[in-house]
Amino acid sequence: MTGAALSWRQFKAILRKDIVMELRTKEMLTSMGLYTLLTMVIYQVALSQTGSAFNVRLIAAGLLWLAFVFTSMLGLNRSLVHEKDQGVLDALLLSPIDRPIIFFAKAVGNFVFLMVVEIISLPVFWFLFLSGGGPASVPIFTTLWQLLFALVLGSIGIAGVGTLLATMSVNTTGKDFVLALLFIPLMYPLLLPAVSSSSAAILGGMGATQQFWQGIGIMAGYDVLMLLAAYALYEFIIGA
Amino acid sequence: MADVCSGNAVEVQGLVRAFGARKALDRVDLTLPAGAFLSIFGPNGAGKTTLVKVLTTLTSPSKGTAKICGLDVVKDAVDLRSRIGLISHNPLLYPDLTAEENLEFFADMYGVIDPKQRIRELLASVELDHRRLDPVRTFSRGMLQRLSIARALLHRPDVVFLDEPYSGLDPHAMDILDSLIAQIREQHTFVMVSHDLAKGLELCSHALILAKGKVVLFEPRERIDPEEFAALYRATVGSGVA
Repeated sequence: MTGAALSWRQFKAILRKDIVMELRTKEMLTSMGLYTLLTMVIYQVALSQTGSAFNVRLIAAGLLWLAFVFTSMLGLNRSLVHEKDQGVLDALLLSPIDRPIIFFAKAVGNFVFLMVVEIISLPVFWFLFLSGGGPASVPIFTTLWQLLFALVLGSIGIAGVGTLLATMSVNTTGKDFVLALLFIPLMYPLLLPAVSSSSAAILGGMGATQQFWQGIGIMAGYDVLMLLAAYALYEFIIGA
Repeated sequence: MADVCSGNAVEVQGLVRAFGARKALDRVDLTLPAGAFLSIFGPNGAGKTTLVKVLTTLTSPSKGTAKICGLDVVKDAVDLRSRIGLISHNPLLYPDLTAEENLEFFADMYGVIDPKQRIRELLASVELDHRRLDPVRTFSRGMLQRLSIARALLHRPDVVFLDEPYSGLDPHAMDILDSLIAQIREQHTFVMVSHDLAKGLELCSHALILAKGKVVLFEPRERIDPEEFAALYRATVGSGVA
């Protein structure tokens, strides 16, 4: 078996194993999904006294990304837990696998779980905050593809950086705290264009197309840079 | 990549592994021929598990060299990993996957050819074929250890590391493990960490006592008098001094 064929087989095996175990235990999806929905309920309570003059559309993209970033941390904290808790990480590291393959398989798994939660919670968000009559209503199908595009690029960055940081923090005491401490500052350059392009998708209007594509471009650049950095650093980080 | 182990299976020269100022391994030298069975003894904190971790590429040496079947544990780590297997007191299996799914996963990790056939053979040899579709979390300690042996042998390694494999096993499970080791004894080189002197000496062709990271004794089994060995071991464990 050639090196590339073995790497592809190893990548598929790790991804398939993570998906099968998640479908069986539903640990990540349940906790992430519930957390997102509860966050949205709290948003609604927090915004309930703002009155009809307040246009929630102006901050909708920020609210959405806030929920997804904190939700992702719940999942990322659990992404290496199966390996760590059962000591299986040693068995994985004993196999003849290039370490970046572990990173890419884990990151793709985290991306898939995050997208599932986002796709499930997006209609709820729309219903709670953007579907009302009058100026607050947004035509869903005209902006949906743009919003999904922004979510995909943002989620790639979250999954990539998050997987790297989750690996760094898995052996530390207080790993939840360590992950949050490292994750939020590194997410900042991604969050700004993510909110900007999502906001352009939701609000529309003059200059929205330019604002949207500008945000998408920055997110794509961030994703490429962070994935390359993670690829280069993962061997050192997982072996530390 | 070197051919199948024919000369020395393990070659260690001047090996040092330091954690800060503390040396877990201190200038360890060791040569073990292919097909040998090395039992490693020593008190807690002697460096036994650290030695196994270095030899299995799970941690890097601070100084010195270590080779398995001619492959350097640092420079040739990826190739070397396909030549070794590890059976630990921890089964290194995913509890939420079935026995078969666990072995399929590790067969993919090692690029095992015709994995279904190999998994069938191994599950039969560890007497777990009737439980192949059950989640591993439902297994007893003995069954976990048997499945762990199947996992470690999936890719037909040249050198098998056993890190306190009898730990926590009941007498029946110990008998099964003995019989499995006896079945595969001829085809592999073994390196076993043990606290059980009698068991370790019974199985080994070479014995090593480590204390404070240093080699106290390394001899072929035929040169060892069990009573003198036991006395030396007790003195080493008692004083913790090399």
